[in-house]
Amino acid sequence: MNIHEYQAKKIFKQFGINVPNGLVAYTPTEAKLAAETVSEFGPWVVKAQIQAGSRDIGKFSDKRAGRKGGIRLSKTLDEVYDNADEMLENLLVTNQTGARGRLVSRVYVEEYIKTIRKFYLGLVVDWVSASIVLLVAPVSDKDDDDIVQLAIESPETILKINLGLQKEIKSEQLKEIVSFMNMQIELSELKTFLNRMLKLFYTYDATLLEINPIGINKFGNIWALDAKIVFDENALYRHPEIQKLFDDSEIEERELIAAKYGFQYKELESGMGIIVNGDGVALNTINQAKNMGINTACFLNLKGGVDRDKISASIKLIMTNPRVDGIFINILGGFSRCNLIADGIITVADDLGLNIPLVARFEGTNKDEATDILKKSGLPLSIAEDTTQGLLLLKEAIAEDL
Amino acid sequence: MSVLIDKHTKVLVQGITGAQASFHVQRAIKYGTNIVAGVAPNKTETSYLGLPLFGTVKEAQEKTGATASIVFVPAKYAKSAILEAIRADLDLVVVITSGIPVRDMMEIKHELLNSSTTLIGPNTPGIITPEEAYMGIFPDNIHKSGHVGIISRSSTLTYEVVLEINKIGIGESTVVGLGDDFIIGTSFVDIIKKFNDDKDTKAIILIGGIGGNYETEAADFYAQLKAKKPTLALILDDPTPLSDNKGLAPEIICRGITSAADKKRILKQSGMIVVDNIQSLKDELARL
Repeated sequence: MNIHEYQAKKIFKQFGINVPNGLVAYTPTEAKLAAETVSEFGPWVVKAQIQAGSRDIGKFSDKRAGRKGGIRLSKTLDEVYDNADEMLENLLVTNQTGARGRLVSRVYVEEYIKTIRKFYLGLVVDWVSASIVLLVAPVSDKDDDDIVQLAIESPETILKINLGLQKEIKSEQLKEIVSFMNMQIELSELKTFLNRMLKLFYTYDATLLEINPIGINKFGNIWALDAKIVFDENALYRHPEIQKLFDDSEIEERELIAAKYGFQYKELESGMGIIVNGDGVALNTINQAKNMGINTACFLNLKGGVDRDKISASIKLIMTNPRVDGIFINILGGFSRCNLIADGIITVADDLGLNIPLVARFEGTNKDEATDILKKSGLPLSIAEDTTQGLLLLKEAIAEDL
Repeated sequence: MSVLIDKHTKVLVQGITGAQASFHVQRAIKYGTNIVAGVAPNKTETSYLGLPLFGTVKEAQEKTGATASIVFVPAKYAKSAILEAIRADLDLVVVITSGIPVRDMMEIKHELLNSSTTLIGPNTPGIITPEEAYMGIFPDNIHKSGHVGIISRSSTLTYEVVLEINKIGIGESTVVGLGDDFIIGTSFVDIIKKFNDDKDTKAIILIGGIGGNYETEAADFYAQLKAKKPTLALILDDPTPLSDNKGLAPEIICRGITSAADKKRILKQSGMIVVDNIQSLKDELARL
């Protein structure tokens, strides 16, 4: 689960990590007031709050926002007002938002902290070693994605330390970091900073903690100028206070409903809607369809779902999507049981009627029961033996239906 | 004949009394799996589904000689159940449970390093040696005995591959579902090793997952492996990004190799035959 920068910074502060004074604002007037409160003289930084990176080099889709990105240095209170005015209620497009961009519904107004050096700092779980890895890299004021390029082209410019399950940083690791950073900084300052980050990481079951950048001022103090935390969704039950920070507006409504039931829903283009029970079969169906000239509007992944009501409610999401012109249900049941999904289809079809073509393919656990249920239902649908046949049947049915 | 499991493997089931576990255990017994005991810490009965029921893994192991366990315990309690199985020194533990917190898996994985247990999963369909036995939740009517070993990071895609290769008369020695989660007990490398040493496995199919660095690790290992069996890697293109907000760090630790295209390139360099759809996989298999 992702949260906004201002929420992450509030958590940083609770753990004693230095963050600039800042306040959230929903209108330009609030932004100006916020600026007056956080710093007497400025300058200030006005930051668009969307849950995607590369905001500073992003572009707003509405021209009134000008050519500047979503992070703007403002020297006067009037500039704070204008920048907030331009960004609010506007769509910000970055290389992580997709072409549509994300609506900026709030900005974060911060005091500007003058620093002499900046670094990227990350804590992340490495899948293969099942360990926390600390990453440090110098950053320029340019594009932050440079770091990924560096990782590929000159990995030696990024310091990576595998911390295993260490709860505290060791002194030899501190020395390694300081020598890598090549600057004067008190070991104790760095140690306190890193240990607090680690404590936060463990306390809240984070899977990623990223500060891009940290800034070091002339007194050698470390500041988190940015903050990104990703929490493990499977561990949220241990942290109800974090669960509360979840922002609905960042996620599409159908995705949200599916997620509530523990399923995954994703919008693609327009065309067929597919209902599957796993990532692999979803990808395979979409790719095979593409090769046959069929586009996919959306897919619903029921994962290992075995609850009738949840399955029915989710199938509704696809059946009521106006961009869907045909439905392909492709289930390879192991844990999932085909008959429960067949029941779900019938429930929804009884409820809403079935006015677009539907093809079902069942394989695996309780396959025969599922096929029987659908055949007996008298619904106008086809049953396929495999993915290829299912897609062919659907293609024909859609062509006839148009 | 197979790797990890055959019809003689004595298996116990942790969390056997749950509804899903009961359903799948009965199917597995019918298939031929030698399930010898159930474990449920809060048990009130002494037998369940016709099997002796014990309160601890240790007791079940001592009384029945079980060497392997299937874990169906819900995510919240899975960590202690898995650690119990590892500490009892079972040879093999297969975890079906999905939704286990990442930190719990990190702790489990570190304990695993100092043990002799092979942990498969979590969030896996399990392991099946066709027409002999399986530990997991496989659709049992689709697998055929044969000479191809399958190792997969994608459960449902595995079933699709099995169905399709069976159509051209190819069966499997053993199918190992590694699990679809971030952190898994066993990665491709250990199973490639086992299949490479198994005299009845003539070729290996590796089915990749989305994101992460397991395929990169497999490529690094396969590249330096001597006397390697032909290995086909199936990597599907990913039309939707895994997440549009994943941060930079995952890319950095994966050396920028996270997309399907990156994985295909590095696996091909390692000497594997790389395909991006099941039809090509069948064509290449038929050619071997």
